[in-house]
Amino acid sequence: MTIISTPVLILGGGVAGVSAALELARRGVPSVLAEKGPRLGGRVRDFCCKATQACVHCGACRLGDLLAEAAARPEAAFRSLALAAEAQREGGVWQVELRPQPDEGEADPLAQPLAEKTTVNAQAVILAVGYEPFDPRRKTRFGYGRVPGVMTALELEAMLGQGVLVGHDGQPPESVAFIQCVGSRDESLGNLYCSRVCCGFALDMAGLIKEGWPETAVTFFHMDVQGYGPSWEEALPHMRQAIDFVRAMPGEVSAGENGPRVCFAGPDGQPRSREFGLVALSQGLTPPASAGALSEMFGLNRNQDGFLGEDAALAVSGAQGVFVAGTAQGPRGIVESIDHAALAAGAAMESLFRAGKEAAHG
Amino acid sequence: MISLNDCDPGFKFEVAAEPGGAGIKACFACAACSARCPVAGHREEYDPRRIIRLTLLGRREEVLSSPLIWLCSACYSCQEVCPQQVRFTEVLTAIKNLAAKAGYAPPSAKQIAGLLAGHGRLLAVTEFENEKRAELGLPAVEERGADYAAILGIAPEAAEAGEEA
Ligand SMILES: Cc1cc2nc3c(=O)[nH]c(=O)nc-3n(C[C@H](O)[C@H](O)[C@H](O)COP(=O)(O)OP(=O)(O)OC[C@H]3O[C@@H](n4cnc5c(N)ncnc54)[C@H](O)[C@@H]3O)c2cc1C
Ligand code: SF4
Ligand code: SF4
Ligand code: SF4
Ligand code: SF4
Repeated sequence: MTIISTPVLILGGGVAGVSAALELARRGVPSVLAEKGPRLGGRVRDFCCKATQACVHCGACRLGDLLAEAAARPEAAFRSLALAAEAQREGGVWQVELRPQPDEGEADPLAQPLAEKTTVNAQAVILAVGYEPFDPRRKTRFGYGRVPGVMTALELEAMLGQGVLVGHDGQPPESVAFIQCVGSRDESLGNLYCSRVCCGFALDMAGLIKEGWPETAVTFFHMDVQGYGPSWEEALPHMRQAIDFVRAMPGEVSAGENGPRVCFAGPDGQPRSREFGLVALSQGLTPPASAGALSEMFGLNRNQDGFLGEDAALAVSGAQGVFVAGTAQGPRGIVESIDHAALAAGAAMESLFRAGKEAAHG
Repeated sequence: MISLNDCDPGFKFEVAAEPGGAGIKACFACAACSARCPVAGHREEYDPRRIIRLTLLGRREEVLSSPLIWLCSACYSCQEVCPQQVRFTEVLTAIKNLAAKAGYAPPSAKQIAGLLAGHGRLLAVTEFENEKRAELGLPAVEERGADYAAILGIAPEAAEAGEEA
């Protein structure tokens, strides 16, 4: 059993965790980051560049910059395959036990796999454990897992990343539909919040499809467009020409003869149905899988949506010396997660400073 | 065009205060209900989302006097797909109750009310039914029209109207 002491322990090595480690390192504060998986980068690892004629500011390439800088910083130590199992606070110090996870054989050169049970003594802990994409099987009526040609936005993203677009029959689809707010803004699921990123990524993917497969018709089923960012007003007229915006949530997706059949209400309120070659469900962000375990381990409350931490604006969690960064605290995009991580790092440094002052004054 | 001067901002609260009506305020106009409504598939003018929007806008007279609100088949499809737990079938019942109070109940609804008040059920019990019951060893059903009308709070004239039907 190894014992490490560090001012700050960071749990989770997605953009938020890596950004927090960098922010601390830039100010000369050492940290240890524990990622439960084999690699750093979190979900963004699998995202593709969505630039068409110009960069659409999706943020995906920010990860590469972050990792490159992290590699050059001696203050930030990265451990992979490390899962926090227990934590207790004594004399102003968190003692967190990390346990090695089974090796899946794709080690990250930037992170050192945890070899054995390790106790980390840290004055501050930053939780950056990310989110869980909503599982659209819970929204049975949209047919995911049942109707061929219905896929998640993440699956479509991975496919586009390979430069491929195939629909229900393995051929390039003549038409693609996006269904928005799947798992978000849905009282029947208890998810009352907007996930903030799905309108943006869906429209960016729609743009990518129109550029690579101009003959493919794209339909966008939505209630309203949220969080697209400051360029929205500018981009809209162009998008309206390329994409069919339908302001209605479909009632059902079933298997049709030529691909998934979407039933929805038209502008006149009349129900109608249309078949598409591919239907992408823009799944929202839900609380991280480990939210329950971590809130118990560190004695902190979850906010009304089930995410970690009490005050988003201050990145504080409600438990002493524990801070929350990125999507672990609530839905946000890549760039917002990077900014939020800087906030958490700042709050953690302030707590170290205060603890130091108290110690000096007895 | 709809002028706000013709709208009654209190209407939605009136609907929400009726039993089953509270959900109306949560609607965010996503139209999933309209997509699944079998009546909307047959009657062009019938659109659950539109009825909700008009109610939220406060188009009191337009909604209460509309013959459309009586077309709902109470199949609950809209309620099943609604992400906001609006429970439109029940909201519409609340709206119909207000419409009836305002004197807008259609003749068929009045007839049904009359039948209920006159016979305690939607069919009059005749000798035919009682003979069949006797064959099966069941006691005869005795109608007590005055009691039904009193329980339902319906005037005897309405009961009369039902008898004629
Ligand atoms: C379909 C889809 C498309 C998206 N597209 C975009 C986009 O185009 N632009 C954009 O800005 N945003 C997009 N997002 C949002 C983006 O994914 C997030 O903003 C970003 O991943 C947040 O980073 P994070 O570090 O908070 O979380 P994550 O990326 O989830 O990283 C969390 C990390 O923590 C690790 N971890 C989890 N639990 C533990 C634990 N208990 N102990 C240790 N480690 C743990 C995980 O293995 C993971 O590596 C999209 C989201 C979805 C669902
Ligand atoms: S921000 Fe997104 S679209 Fe722009 S270059 Fe980077 S990955 Fe491509
Ligand atoms: S960002 Fe768009 S799709 Fe996502 S929850 Fe918000 S409104 Fe719905
Ligand atoms: S499905 Fe629910 S939220 Fe959507 S328009 Fe109908 S009543 Fe409103
Ligand atoms: S309950 Fe009424 S409004 Fe709702 S779907 Fe059925 S017929 Fe349409």
